[in-house]
Amino acid sequence: MRSTSLTAHVVVILVLLLLPLGADHLFSGFYISLMARVFIYAIMILGFDLLAGYTGMISYGHAMFFGTGAYVTAMLLKHVTAWFWPSLLASVVGCGLLAYVVGYLSIRTREVYFVFLTFAFAQFFFVAANSWEFVGAANGLAGIPKPIVLPGLDLSNSTVFYYFCLIVLAAAYGLARLFVRSPFGRILVGIRENEERTQFLGYDTHGAIRRVFVISGMYGGAAGALMASMNSFASPVLYHPAVSGEIIIAALIGGMGTLVGPVLGAGVIILLTDLLSSWLAEAWMMIVGALFAFCVLFTPDGLMGLIRRFRSGRAAPGGSGHA
Amino acid sequence: MDLSTFLASLLYGVTIGSALILISSGLSLTFGVMGVLNFAHGGLCMLGAYLGYSLMAWTGSFWLAMIAAPLIIAVVGVLMESFTIRPLYGLNPLYQLLLTVGLSMVLANAVLLIWGPDQFSIELPEYFQGYVNLAGIYYPRFRLFVLLFSTLISVLLWYGIAKTRWGIVIRAGIHDIETVSAFGINIHRVFTAVFAVGAGLAALAGVIIGAMRAINPEMDLELLTSALIVVVIGGLGSFKGAVIGSLVLGLLEAFGVQYFPGLAKFTVWGAMILVLIFRPEGLVGAE
Repeated sequence: MRSTSLTAHVVVILVLLLLPLGADHLFSGFYISLMARVFIYAIMILGFDLLAGYTGMISYGHAMFFGTGAYVTAMLLKHVTAWFWPSLLASVVGCGLLAYVVGYLSIRTREVYFVFLTFAFAQFFFVAANSWEFVGAANGLAGIPKPIVLPGLDLSNSTVFYYFCLIVLAAAYGLARLFVRSPFGRILVGIRENEERTQFLGYDTHGAIRRVFVISGMYGGAAGALMASMNSFASPVLYHPAVSGEIIIAALIGGMGTLVGPVLGAGVIILLTDLLSSWLAEAWMMIVGALFAFCVLFTPDGLMGLIRRFRSGRAAPGGSGHA
Repeated sequence: MDLSTFLASLLYGVTIGSALILISSGLSLTFGVMGVLNFAHGGLCMLGAYLGYSLMAWTGSFWLAMIAAPLIIAVVGVLMESFTIRPLYGLNPLYQLLLTVGLSMVLANAVLLIWGPDQFSIELPEYFQGYVNLAGIYYPRFRLFVLLFSTLISVLLWYGIAKTRWGIVIRAGIHDIETVSAFGINIHRVFTAVFAVGAGLAALAGVIIGAMRAINPEMDLELLTSALIVVVIGGLGSFKGAVIGSLVLGLLEAFGVQYFPGLAKFTVWGAMILVLIFRPEGLVGAE
């Protein structure tokens, strides 16, 4: 099982590394940008899954980090510096602080409260971004310069941007793996399985959830920073509850509580919305919503759960360690 | 700030608050009895508003819109409850909540497909147009009607919950649904009824708000957010909490518009944060 998982990792990484070589020959260059979007979403959903999949606390307001990350980067790139790193740092730290405050106010409550408090806080940003002239109100912030990542190298080329997002995703994935396997990750799983018992063992479960919520917000901030750089644009749509909904559904499709699941879910949701927006632009939200309901009703543990079930149907049960 | 402006704001605040009671009490009771926090509640409210608009436009009868739209939405509520939410009872409540998130997206998109992105207003019959003179304050006639009508419905709702046999079942259900079931009461019927009434009330509020302000495809989010903030302020799962939270929110909105025009939209979040810091269980929370 372990070697198949390793082979799968190597194959996926090779394919992703070689993919841009086929652009303009095998498929249109548009798909390179689409894949970059998948990577950005994957970073965000990975952060969401560290929270939701490992502690069971579902945030229906993750768009607040995506949007805030994008706006912070957009403002800094436009008005302060064209370098990417300070903007990224500001987005990540800013979203971490935001997550600390929102987490402080909403984690004391029950699970269901947490869902709608995160929603209510995200709505605050949606309304604010739509009405605050300083950040362009409903028109958004346009004309953001392409950020510089190394002397002489900016992100205007879509292949460069593709690899850059892939590197950030790989780093985010590696960090998430470290978190999950650390003693801290064990506490998180303990919270999901039985919060009370974990408390009785002497762990500060509220503190742990608050910390993972901050980490999760930081992932969202990084994704937002990349999104603003990609589009050279930040708009209130980034804060729309549909974005928070897409994050949950992608995590559901991929399977929560695994690290590969979110990446897979990001791929499915981006490709699906792209397909739907060219064929059925008018009805995409309806289809995403119906898919959402379908996932909840029929495959509560997502694609990874399906794969696991399929595998355990073939191999001896119990041996399927998940990545 | 002179007295008559103050009184006009007060009156307007109570009017908005009374309309909000219709939305938030359904949301709160559905949660209290069934444990389902319905994120599609704003969508039902919006669908009710649009249905009311179309009924009014086709038939010209305001009262038909006020009666038929809520009944249709109550039926939609029954269908939603029986076919999508019911299979999930007994699972983690988050599943039901996520399901309603999906349904809210379906409803929002359906409205956009059927009625398009434009803003509409429900046309009022002549006797509701114009102003009344209330001891020197010129108050729109329809707003006065909204205040009286919503108060009447709220009192009926309170009577239903506090004094009738059904109300006893509902109050017992909020307390402990398993015991209610053990007494031989069919809790599935109770669930369906509560959900349908909540949906119908939301639609009624939708028609009222559509006639008082305007209807647009984003109103579901606004109304849902308001209703959620109401239940945070008042306390989730109680009718009294919904009433108090609604009035607080209505007054904040009315006075905010009058005295801090730029920040009016955000005062409600300020109130929500204060409640979360000092009384996380809500103003009337039982825990």
